[in-house]
Parts: sequence; structure tokens; C-alpha cells
Amino acid sequence: MDEVLRVEGLHKRFGRGPGAVAANAGIDLTVGAGQVVGLLGHNGAGKSTLVNQVVGLLRPDAGRITLAGIDAVARPDLARRLASVQAQANVPITGLTPLRAVELVGLIRGGRPDAVRARAAALIDALDLGEWASTPAEKVSGGVARLAAFAMALVVPGRLVVLDEPTNDVDPVRRRLLWNQIRALADEGAGVLLVTHNVREAERVVDHLAILDHGVVLAADTPAALTAARGGELTLEVDLLPDRTPTWPSALTVVDRGRLRATAVVTQARAADVVGWASDELAAGRIERYALTPTSLEDAYVDLVEPAADDDATAGPAHQTTHITTEKTTDEESAA
Amino acid sequence: MSTLTLEASAPALLDARPWPARVAAGWDQLWLLVRWQLLRSKESLPLLVLVQLLLAVSTVIGYGLVVGDPGPIGGLYLATGAPTVTLVMVGLVMTPQAVAQARTEGSLDWMRTLPVPRGLFLVADLLVWTAIALPGMVVGLLVGAWRFDVDLSPTWWIVPGALVVSLTAAAVGYAVATLLAPTLAQLVSQVFVFLIMLFSPVCFPADRLAPWAQHLHQWLPFQPMAEVMRAGLAPHAFTLPARSVVVLLVWCVLAVAGAAAALRRRA
Repeated sequence: MDEVLRVEGLHKRFGRGPGAVAANAGIDLTVGAGQVVGLLGHNGAGKSTLVNQVVGLLRPDAGRITLAGIDAVARPDLARRLASVQAQANVPITGLTPLRAVELVGLIRGGRPDAVRARAAALIDALDLGEWASTPAEKVSGGVARLAAFAMALVVPGRLVVLDEPTNDVDPVRRRLLWNQIRALADEGAGVLLVTHNVREAERVVDHLAILDHGVVLAADTPAALTAARGGELTLEVDLLPDRTPTWPSALTVVDRGRLRATAVVTQARAADVVGWASDELAAGRIERYALTPTSLEDAYVDLVEPAADDDATAGPAHQTTHITTEKTTDEESAA
Repeated sequence: MSTLTLEASAPALLDARPWPARVAAGWDQLWLLVRWQLLRSKESLPLLVLVQLLLAVSTVIGYGLVVGDPGPIGGLYLATGAPTVTLVMVGLVMTPQAVAQARTEGSLDWMRTLPVPRGLFLVADLLVWTAIALPGMVVGLLVGAWRFDVDLSPTWWIVPGALVVSLTAAAVGYAVATLLAPTLAQLVSQVFVFLIMLFSPVCFPADRLAPWAQHLHQWLPFQPMAEVMRAGLAPHAFTLPARSVVVLLVWCVLAVAGAAAALRRRA
């Protein structure tokens, strides 16, 4: 597989002295041609700093960035030809229509006029934006503007396409269309670096994941390998009834117990027993609802970053896994 | 789709392009950027042009009120000063305000991710802003000639001269807007307004200023800018000292280099 992006030992600090922040503290990462690499991490983990260095808006303090064989730090001008970017902030296109903006960006990126027109129309169609294609941007919703910005990054794609939170503000139906386009883009041979918080949905399109925390890559692997670390565990969610206490089986480890919701970890082997118990409790009217779900990538992600994100109110991980993650990561730390 | 991906991507192809092809691509990009900027500001465009018209006309009429009957030479100063003020204001005041706004709303950073030579952003903006200043410049000139009943006989080099004035002012404005924080840049541009309108020898002779101010203006770009416009529009009454040409060109080169460096800067 051709390597489109290779990041080695990337360091970037902001500020000086004791107040300095190490936004990137030694990042290693690769994106291959035809590969979608998800970059996960809570706010402030260093994702956008990494992206801005790849396209030459920021200069690394140390480390190397190689884009399709070219030193992107020494030649930011070539890097910008080789990479197209959807920035995290919305691109203001007031005065333009989504279609016109996509076409103009395609032409500015050096596409042939006929090819750009065809591609822009195809993208508008594929993202179901036809209704707003010729509406002035100041009259379209945030989600439509976001999709237009997405199409601008794809109209004449670079060898590397960087997408920073492409699904923000986008409705569920069009989010699926967007994921399809991302997959199609990679299948055409582009490398895609996908920065997102939308772990559950990204799981379906990413080939490889890097989890970033406090400027370093905590883990990088396939989604399957990352979730496999939890050894085929299942999660049991139980909605409780006020004034009723279910009789918990002794083998079940309740990891979080709220007033009306409890969460427990269940091994594959005991799944059938637990479902039987939960059905009995439901029939007896001692619980309101239950659900047994496989461990998701989101759980694995939260496992990895949770201790570090404890003091970060914006990280907002699902609270029911708090206890599990604390135990697991302590084990990992002592093993390390 | 695959043709697009390959076409825009192969670095070997891009670097192997001969110079004429690269220059042609640069021209295309320049006009596309101009189109982008014009379309983006199409709502405010008529208003901006109108403000420039009013600025030019009120410079002529307003100064006329202040000085009464200016006499033939005074009239020439005012009639040629109005277009100079318009050009310089666009560059030093409106450019920093527009760039500061683009920085605040995030469009500048996004534009900088496009594969466009950094200097083209400057040239595209300059073209747009000069076009906005042009109607005001011409109308100010006509109103001035009529109001003070002066004869103007523009030389051929007033066009490149005005472009150098416009380029220098816009480049200084650009550098201010990219080097200072957006709010500070807006403030500095406000200071430029009264500094140019009242304390620069644009609409009046330099000898009315205090000696120290006269000395200072020998090194600042405003007096040479005014002299270029004056001598270019009324060569029978004014000359253009060689020193002023040198000072203006040095400012032009420094300002363009500074603005280009500011655009290329990676924090």
C-alpha cells in the first residue's frame, strides 16, 4: 500500500515558559492510499494542531511530515496541492451559493472546468443538496453549509483529504450519504484523515484509528483490534422503576448505578443467563427495560482517554463506564 | 472522479509543468480569487463604492469649506488630494478592516489551505479594493476640477503611479492586519484616518507643518504618494522629486515583502 501521509515524532508547543502547552508531544501516524484513518480525541487533544501542520499553516517545533513522498514542512506549497482540507470551522461563503462555491474551489484547485462542473453536480446530488444548490449561502442551514464545505474538500481532492468534524450539524440521513462519499473517496485511492468525535458512526467507515490524547497517540489500530482489547465483553443496560429494586444475580458486576439506570458488564459466556434473568425481572415488573449491547468502539475510546479526560468537562464520555475504565487503565499503567 | 483525483494529485506532474503553464495557471487562479472575493462581498459592494464616492466628494467640498477660497494652487492641492485620500484610505483603512474580519470569521485560514501562491491573495485583494476605490477617485477628481475651476492634464504615468500608491497602501494595510490582533488592527486603521486626513501633506503643502513633522514626512510614504498623484494629474504645476519616487518605491517593496511574509508566516 502506498503511503500518502507519514508523521514522525511531531512536536508543537504554544507559548513559552511554564504556561506553555504541548499541543503535539511526539505524534507518529501514517495514512495509506485508499485508507480512511480516524483521528479521535477530546477537545484540546491536539487534532487540529496536527492538521494545521500537515497543510503548512503551522510550523512544527520538531518532527517530520511526509506527504506523498514530499517533505511537507520544507515545501508547504506542494503540501497544499497534495492535500485538500475541510476545516473544523465553517467556511464563510456568504454571497455564493453552495454549487457556485464548490465549483469555484474546484477551479482554484486546478481542475478542468468541464470536469469540475460534472464533479460538483455529482457531489451535490450524492449529498442530496439539490434543493439548496442555488440558494444564497446566507439562507441555508448550518448543516447544509457544512456539507457544502465537505464538497469543497472533495471536488478536486488531494492525494490526502483531511476532514475535520465533517458531520457536525448534519442531519442523520445526510450523515449516511456523507460517510458513503468518504468511503468512495478512499476506494478511488485517496488517503483520508478523518478527525471526529462521532465515534459510533465513524466506526463503519474507518480502516484504522489513532486515539490522540494530550498530544500523543495513545493507541493506533483497526477498530476490531481496539475493541478486542475488551475481550468480547457485553454491556447490559437496565432502566429501573422508581421504588422497585430488582434482585441482582450474584455473578453480575454492576458498574454504575443511578436512580433509574444501571449498567453492568457481562461476559459472552453468561449472556444467555443474564438475558433470562432480565426477562424474568421485566415480566415481574421490577425493571422497565433492558438492553444487551456489544462493546463499541466508543467504549474502547473512553477506556483509553478517560483518566486523562477526568478534569475536562468538555470530553463528555458516557458516564456509565467510569468504573470499568478506571480499573482497566490502572492495570494497563501498572503493566507498562 | 478518478481522473480528477489523479489530475490534481500527482506531484511529478505539477513540478514538471513548464513555466508558461504555471504562469497561465497563476492568471486563472488570480481571476478566480477575484471572482470569489467579489461574489462574497457583492451585498456590501455598492455600499463600499458609495462610501468611497462620498469620501472623495466630501474631501473636496469639506476642505473647500474649511479653507474658503483656496486660490489656484490651493485648489489644485484639494482637487488632486481627494483621489489620493480615496486610494490611501482604501488601502490603509478598508483593507485592514476586511482582512481583520476575514481572520475573525475564519475564512482567511481556510483560504490559506488552498494551493494558491501566497502573493496572489494580496494581488487579488488589491485588484478588488482598487476597483472599489476607482469610481470615487474619478468622481472626486471631476468634482474637484469643477469646484475649484482648475485645469488637470493627466500624464500617461498616472495609471502606473496610482497603482503603486494603491499597492503600497494596501500592502501596508495588509501587513498591519495580519501582524496585529484583529481588534488592534481595526483600531490602528482608525488612527490612520485622521493621521492621513489632517496631518499628512496630501491636501495642503508640507511647509504648513511643523519642521519636525515635515522631516518625518520625508521618510513616510504619504507625502510621496500625494506628490505622485499631484504631478501625474497637474504636471504643469507640480514636479515629482526623484527622492519621493525612491522613498515611495522603497516603501512599496518593503510593504509588499512584509505582506507576503505575513501571508506565508507559519506560527
